[in-house]
Amino acid sequence: MTGASRGDGGDRIRGRAHIGIDVSGALALTGTMLAYLSLSALVPIAFAIGYREPVWPFVAAGAITGGFGLALMRLGRRRSAGPIGFREGYLVVSLTWLLAAVYAALPYIFSGDPQVSHPIDAFFEGMSGFSTTGATVIVDVDAIDRSLLIWRQLSQWLGGMGIIVLALAVLPRLRIGGRQMFESELPGPEVHQLAERIRDTARRLWLLYIALTGVLFGLLLGIGLSGLDDRMDAFQALGHSLSTLPLGGFSTDPRSLEPFAPITQWVVALFMALAGLNFALLYLGLVRRRPVVFARDEEARLYGALLLLGSAVVFAELVNADLFSGEEALRQAVFQTTSLMTGTGFAITNYVGWPTVAVMAMIGLMFVGASAGSPTGSVKIVRHLLVSRILRRELRQTIHPELVLPIRLNGKTVDERTLRAVLAFVLLYIGIFIIGAVLLAIDARVANLEFGMTDAIAASAGTLGNVGPALGFAGPMGSYAPFSDFSKLVMAALMWVGRLEVLPVLVLLTRNYWRV
Amino acid sequence: MRIVIVGAGQVGSTVVEALHDEHDLTVIDVVRERLEPLAYRYDVSTIEANGASRKALRDAGVGQADLFIACTSRDEVNLVACSFARVEAPRATTVIRTSNVEYIDLWREGRLDVDFAVSSELETANAVSRSIGMPAARQTDVFANGQVQIVEFDVPEGADSSVVGRPLREAPLPSDSRVFGIIRSDALTLPRGGESLRPGDRIVVIGSPTAAREWGRLLAPGEEAVRDVVVFGGGQMGTAIARSLTAQEIGVRLIEPDRERAREVAEELPACRVYNATGTDVDFLDRELIGRAQAAVFAIKDDAENHYAATLARVHGVRFTIAVLHDPISTKVYEHSGVDVTINPRGVTAEEIARFAHDPRTQQVAMLEGDRYEVLDITTQPTSEYVGLKFRDMPIRGAMIGAIVRDGRAVFPRSDEVLQAGDRVIVFTERKRVPDVERVL
Repeated sequence: MTGASRGDGGDRIRGRAHIGIDVSGALALTGTMLAYLSLSALVPIAFAIGYREPVWPFVAAGAITGGFGLALMRLGRRRSAGPIGFREGYLVVSLTWLLAAVYAALPYIFSGDPQVSHPIDAFFEGMSGFSTTGATVIVDVDAIDRSLLIWRQLSQWLGGMGIIVLALAVLPRLRIGGRQMFESELPGPEVHQLAERIRDTARRLWLLYIALTGVLFGLLLGIGLSGLDDRMDAFQALGHSLSTLPLGGFSTDPRSLEPFAPITQWVVALFMALAGLNFALLYLGLVRRRPVVFARDEEARLYGALLLLGSAVVFAELVNADLFSGEEALRQAVFQTTSLMTGTGFAITNYVGWPTVAVMAMIGLMFVGASAGSPTGSVKIVRHLLVSRILRRELRQTIHPELVLPIRLNGKTVDERTLRAVLAFVLLYIGIFIIGAVLLAIDARVANLEFGMTDAIAASAGTLGNVGPALGFAGPMGSYAPFSDFSKLVMAALMWVGRLEVLPVLVLLTRNYWRV
Repeated sequence: MRIVIVGAGQVGSTVVEALHDEHDLTVIDVVRERLEPLAYRYDVSTIEANGASRKALRDAGVGQADLFIACTSRDEVNLVACSFARVEAPRATTVIRTSNVEYIDLWREGRLDVDFAVSSELETANAVSRSIGMPAARQTDVFANGQVQIVEFDVPEGADSSVVGRPLREAPLPSDSRVFGIIRSDALTLPRGGESLRPGDRIVVIGSPTAAREWGRLLAPGEEAVRDVVVFGGGQMGTAIARSLTAQEIGVRLIEPDRERAREVAEELPACRVYNATGTDVDFLDRELIGRAQAAVFAIKDDAENHYAATLARVHGVRFTIAVLHDPISTKVYEHSGVDVTINPRGVTAEEIARFAHDPRTQQVAMLEGDRYEVLDITTQPTSEYVGLKFRDMPIRGAMIGAIVRDGRAVFPRSDEVLQAGDRVIVFTERKRVPDVERVL
């Protein structure tokens, strides 16, 4: 659209000329993302060939997504050759993630598997995958093709570190403004820069992510091969390492990690805790060998303290209720606390029937989340830290109205704009959580489901926080299959909004976003 | 000595005033109006040009200069001028004035290519924290890395009777200290043992930091150590003062009316409580119990506002007030309205800068009572007639040795101590006798 053609007629002026963002440019970029993302279908294709399972669902999914992406690239032409604007970034990020979930759903639909081939179920599962939630409609994992399971695990792994971060890391000369898109995708209010260029930062984060996945795979395989855990084979090792690092929670076993040996559970718990640290910090600590960074970082310290506190409370409650004792009680407490707090969603027992205090702790932990800059969902530690400091400041300023109190994090002053964004995020997060819970409760009532208040709360918190399992029938050993289609769409939306940290999606819903 | 001075503002002209008698001065400034009064009043040559221009510096004859002083109010101009001077006159001593703490730190680390860096803010802050450390003192100077303090006290009516009114040799004076001089009805006496202190005297005491504190207690009984200070004004001056006080673990509340500036100060000084308010807001002063502060420092840029705030704070009950003034003429106004200590940043800075023009043996100079008296830190030469003499045998010629620094350690000599060649002596004298003292030693 050129300046000259704008004056053509009244319709145009009233219509498109009032749109303030470069929609076609954003679509073209989204198309590029999808076209490259479609290459990921090669992985399950290889597994399908290896396991002699149907290959065509993946071929079709890849071809459709790739074709659609290319078509978008053709269709939408960029208004200018420069990097994509700050405003368009939100549209690209939101749309890419929505379409990625559709892409992930295609193989489930084409597989014709009775548990997951219904389009709504497939979309739910696809969104649960890319958003690293881990909520599933599949009851019996064993009945699903192994190549499809690998696809399900892979979707979580890709979603963990982020599609756009990946694109920034590998795509040649991707003309995007970088930082803003990077920030809207990577969880947390501020991004640590590891290198001068966003591209190099993205690359380092992904390499670390791949390396940690590799280490976990090696450890789990070693445990299996050495006979310490006879259920652990190469497939299970791969499946669980692909969903542990992104703090996803899909399991390749119907009973999650319950049937595995204690040592496996401890190793997975350790890696969940690790993956819940800020990856930029992990990079400095592990790759640059400066372990002091963990002790110096206020968020990492609070994260560690909360993990210990949560585990201690649950442990005390479990021992008190005589459910477990000794090492097993400790393992249960540490594993479940880590799993729910980091938003992974693995389980080693069905905690639905645990004592009230322990269950309340579990729900509470869903709102905590792990560190910013990790693949976790939910509110995240750093925001809790900042909100508590904002509140403390408000209290002090009630008595001393003129007192100027900058809020510091790790010794550095935090910008007031960032603080406002943090407050807005937390309020929106709570608002959306409540709306979600109410919608689910109403819909469950309409569908005559056995669904209590705590179940509605847990389902809304579990999907918005990208945790996964909830309580009731959607508990750790259950599935989300009994929900109505409407509820599933609501929860898919919650996962989407939760993964992108609310603001990028909600900003699209404002009129000003689209206006000049 | 040939001296080139860049900047004829407040500091520059005070430096000119202090140095024009004995040295050849060339002053460079961009503003003619600042140069003209200097040219008329003193025998100095002036050049109207930008000090950061190489050509202007060449015209001023920087190549032949022994001392180069860049004291404009702009740090960057001073730095650029100094780096040109370094090239043109590699042997000249260079001095810059800066208000940036970072540059001072860099200079201390030896990473700034200048010989001396002087900051009005830092010098003033040091003067304030010395006064606050000793509320009875009017002025404090430190020598020999803080081992020796020279303090000016007013002897009040209620001072300890064991030291007041008795001959000095009988009074139980704090050890490691001596009374340097007594200023009584505007005349200086260098006291001998038979002299006694009287209420209303202003005395100059030299001693170790511990002794100086004891003097403070003797002369102003009932004063406890200050823990709560309010600083009015968060400009560079107020911030430097607050920084220096918080570094001594004194609780500081700072009041700054500009919102943005208040925030900057709060970010810069986490240990200091910063209020975004005006110091003349009575409600605010009441609500925050400012009157209960043990001391208040007034560093507001406008003298009139500063003076009003100081008076208001006194009305609210602040016991000890220190005003940083901008126009030296205001001193009398402040003192008249009961402000306890006034500090003139120009004077403090000029004092710092002027000491570089003294005899190279002179390590440090302090000026007392405006610039009527000076305290010098001089290394004795073997040829001096005083070397080998016992202190009690030295003739008094309008100067007095208060302390010697031998092998880096301060000694407060008894009367039978012998002066040795190479000793650094700290001498108190009238300003007009400085050249004599330097020659004799």
